[in-house]
Parts: sequence; structure tokens; C-alpha cells
Amino acid sequence: MDLRICVPLGALFGDCLEVMDAVGLPVDPLRDAGRRLIVEVPGGPTYITTRPSDVPTYVESGAADIGIVGRDVLLERQPDVYELADLGFGGCRMSWCTPEGDDPTAGAIERFGVVRVATKYVNCAERFFEETGRKAEIVKVNGSVELAPLVGLADGIVDLVATGRTLRENGLVEREEIFDSTARLIANRVSHKLRAEDLDALVRGFEEATA
Amino acid sequence: MTDPVPLPAGVRDVLPVEAAELRALGHALAGAFASFGYREVMTPLIELADVLDRAEEEGVGRAYRLFDDEGRVLVLRPDLTIPIARLVATRMADHPDPVRVSYNARAVRPPVHGKIEGAEQRQAGIELVGAAGPEADGEVIAALSRALAAAGVPDARVAVGSVAVVSAVLAGAGADDVTRDALWEALRGRSVVDWRRAASGLPLEGDAAAVIADLPALRGGVEVLDAIAAAVPSASDECDRLRAVVDVVVRHGVAAPMIDMGVVRDWAYYSGVVIEAYAAGAMAPVAVGGRYDGLGARFGRDRAAVGVAVALDLLHHAVGRGAEQADTGMVLVGGSDDLIAEATALRAQGVEVVGVPATYEQADALALADGRRFVVRRMGDGWSVRDVISGADEALAALEGGPWI
Repeated sequence: MDLRICVPLGALFGDCLEVMDAVGLPVDPLRDAGRRLIVEVPGGPTYITTRPSDVPTYVESGAADIGIVGRDVLLERQPDVYELADLGFGGCRMSWCTPEGDDPTAGAIERFGVVRVATKYVNCAERFFEETGRKAEIVKVNGSVELAPLVGLADGIVDLVATGRTLRENGLVEREEIFDSTARLIANRVSHKLRAEDLDALVRGFEEATA
Repeated sequence: MTDPVPLPAGVRDVLPVEAAELRALGHALAGAFASFGYREVMTPLIELADVLDRAEEEGVGRAYRLFDDEGRVLVLRPDLTIPIARLVATRMADHPDPVRVSYNARAVRPPVHGKIEGAEQRQAGIELVGAAGPEADGEVIAALSRALAAAGVPDARVAVGSVAVVSAVLAGAGADDVTRDALWEALRGRSVVDWRRAASGLPLEGDAAAVIADLPALRGGVEVLDAIAAAVPSASDECDRLRAVVDVVVRHGVAAPMIDMGVVRDWAYYSGVVIEAYAAGAMAPVAVGGRYDGLGARFGRDRAAVGVAVALDLLHHAVGRGAEQADTGMVLVGGSDDLIAEATALRAQGVEVVGVPATYEQADALALADGRRFVVRRMGDGWSVRDVISGADEALAALEGGPWI
């Protein structure tokens, strides 16, 4: 099976390997990949490893046939791909968090007409505040989001929360949950049809391995 | 350094090699469409926005809009099916049914940041208006397969879904409005996961529940339709109809399309069969289409219709490099001044002749840049001929019967 599989580096990587192993995919070459970004298994799949947020890009463009990615990334990027299975692992939630004490959200709207939000997930944050009838001013930051409300850059943050430990250590409190996320199996629109038989078998394998 | 010369986002120029290849693809598709009796029409690049907006409940979405000098909103056509439905409903209202028209034109839609899809989309397609039966759907699918084969993609895979089957299934499964909307949204978003979640709220048990939960992932041959009809008997008429479509396609001598209930379209005007075609090397379907029976009525002439459009740029990626074209014609040194009569005589014989002045010094470079194989010069009473591909020089007494014929 010569599928190109896009695998996210980072938090999901370990669980991805475990599940793909359970499905019967040869994952040892990927485990021993070192710094290589592409791992070709002779007679088997080709693995492409990327940052999680790039997985939908590779799959949507057809550079990879399938990929594994968190629902958070799908909702942020809105790629035109098939979402085939919920793999169950990588559980976390997207939440609106502000500093401990009184929640400043309502007060900010009342006095300034707008709530200032720091986030990596600009689209998710924008949609959430629009859907809840509030005007948000979104500040895009690329890392250490928790810092923003502590130094007055924003009223709060929209970010992924898994255990809540980072929030607590920085004196932040989860105020509103936006959505739940787990890892998903996605497929390119064309690969999904041209490789229908291979992919359907693989999806069944993933469903059994994660049931 | 001069200032940069940018283009608007999402658009690009087409240079001679690509233009020739796109032209050839369009020609191949048009030939196949014409063999089924489809005649080309052309619609304006701009339309009145309120006319096009009639096509969709929520108005046409992403589009470039502008104003005319009386303040009316105009729209650059974001799609070709809607303008052609308008044309057929108004200009060809009295044409005997069915109307068969084809087109090869550009639709324009503002690009989405971060997406590869361009703003300009070259589309070649057909519309069959005034024919409601499965024969019409089958003909369009067969014509599409023939056209893709003629364009150099004989192994394209065609998949068909059906908005009508899905609607019948949801009605038969007892979905309330909220569940139905959630299911449609999941289907349009291509999320099997969201579909399953929404479907778990349906009042169903056993096989029926299992079949519906899997609906967007169900695909294969007509046995898929048997399973759906068995699970939701009230959908069996629509399943029979889609089975009849497949049967018609096969009678046209074309491979049966894959049945795939996950195939849907974003445009809300689709009402029946939905068609997509895929080819290796193209990141998205090379052709899309379907049945849109309600569209004509919105322009004042209620007629059933079905059509499909090939995305030429995606098809171009799928066919790869066209036949080598750097072998035609010649550069004739003196052909634009001293030897105009000779150039004219050669052109009359069907030779492509690039005329340059007798004093021109870059004839070889020009021939290579333009894909001309020969450089021809006057030499005494005869001619010297250089083959720029092999580099060989040859002397000829006369131009008649040269190697360019």
C-alpha cells in the first residue's frame, strides 16, 4: 500500500504511532526517523511529518493522501477534506480563559464595546464571539498565549486546554468552553475516491483500533 | 530597480505553452460534447447581482461585485451554471425540449486566503435542459467520461451521489428539522464524524440505524442502493432512479460510475444526482455537476436540468505535459522584409513561418524560445536550413519539399 500519510509532530505524535501500529501500519521506521521529515517504507506507506497546523494543508493539496490532525486545527483552518474517523486520543478543549478573580468579559463589553482576545486560533475565536453576540478584538500571537492577559495585551485568551495546569500556573481560569477536540483521520478529496478500496479498509482498521 | 508589477490575488497570466495546452484540452472536450449534440453558448462576464441572486436562497456567496453608472450592483459571474440557466430560461424559452448547450468560459471568485484554488476558473461544460429522466443524467455522465478520455484522462473515476436519495432517507428516517440541518451540514462539510454524531439522535434501530450512520461513507456499486432501500423503504424510489442512471451510463459503453453518498455540492440549487470526476495529479475533482431542476423556474421557465463542468486548470495538471510542441514551423530570416513573397507562399502550404528582417542576428535564439524547429536563410541562389534541435545545417536548392512539411 503506497499511501502518503501525513503525521503531526508534537503532542499527538506518540499516540499516532501507537494507533497506526495497532492498525497494522509499519511504524518502526517512523519511530527511528531522527530528523528526517519524509520516511518511505519500501513496499509500504510514505510518512510525511509536519507541524500539526500544516497537516490539513498537505492533505487538502494532495501532497498527502490522508493525515491525522486535531479537530481544533480542522475548525481553525476549515480545509476542504474528508473527516473520516474520530480517533479518540488527544482529547482537549478550546476555551475562553481570563485571569483569576472577577471575569472581565462582560465589563469590557459594557464599558468599551469590545473584548480583547489573544489567541493562536484567530478564526475559532472570531466565530465564537460572533456566535455569542459579542464584539471581539482579536490579537494574533504565536506562542505563550497565557502571557497576553497578564501584561494587559488582552482581556483573556482563546486556547486549547488539556489538563489546565499551564492555566493555573499563570493565574488564568477557564470561563467558557468553546468546543471539544480529539484527533481525526482526514483524507484528500481525490485520494478518497481514487483509492476508495484502500482507504475504506484503512478506516475500518482505525475504527477497530480506537473503538 | 523598477517598482514591482503585481497582479490581483489569485489570478495569473497564461504563457504560450500553457495557452496552447489549455486550448487543446478545451478543443478535445468540446469535440466530445459536440458529438452528443451540445452547441456552444457564451454569456456575459458581468450580470446584474439581483438576477443571479435569484438562483440561491441566500444569494450567490463569494463574488466580485461592482456598480454600474446607475448604481445597480453587478457581479462578475462566480459560476457558469446560473448564467446559462438564465440564458436557457429566457433566450431559449421556446426551444423544443431538450436544450443541449455547452460552454468554455471563465468563472471568477475572490480567492480565500491560504487556499491554493485560484480566483479565475476555466470551465468547460454542458447543460441538458428540459429532460427529467435518468436517461438525461446518464447521457451527461457518459458525455463527461468520453470528454475526459478525449482530453487524455481515460482512467478518470466518476462518482455519483444524490441529493434526492439523501433527502428521501432523512425524511424516511424521521429526522426533525434540527437533526436534518445538522446532517446536511455534516455532509457538506465532508465530515463522517459529525454525521454519525447527528445521526445517533435519529429514531432508528438495527440495520436501518447502521446503514444511516454510515451513509456518507457508503460507496461502491449499485449494491449500496440496495442497502439504503432496504434500510429506508420510503427512499427506494429515489434509489431505483439512481440505479437507472447507472444503467444508462453503462448502455452508453462507459464504465459504471461509483455510487458514493458522500458526494454533495456546496451550491444549494442541486436537487438530484450529483456528479464528480477525479484524476490522479489533480488535487480536487476535475469535474463537478448534477441535477438542478428548480433553477429554471427562478428565471421564469420551469424546466428540469442537469449538467457538468470540467475544471480545465485541474485537468491540465492531471494530463501532465502535452505532446512536445517545439517541432513546428520555421524562422525565415528576411521573411519580414526581403522575402515576404516566399514567406507567404510557405504559409499558403500550411507552414508556420515567423518572419524576421534580413539583418536579424538572433534567429536561432528566437526559434528555440518560440518552439520553431528550423531557421532558414537565403544563401546564394539556394537556402541554408538549420535544425535548431539537432544543430545540423543543410543546403537546399528550393524551399519546396523542405523538412518542415
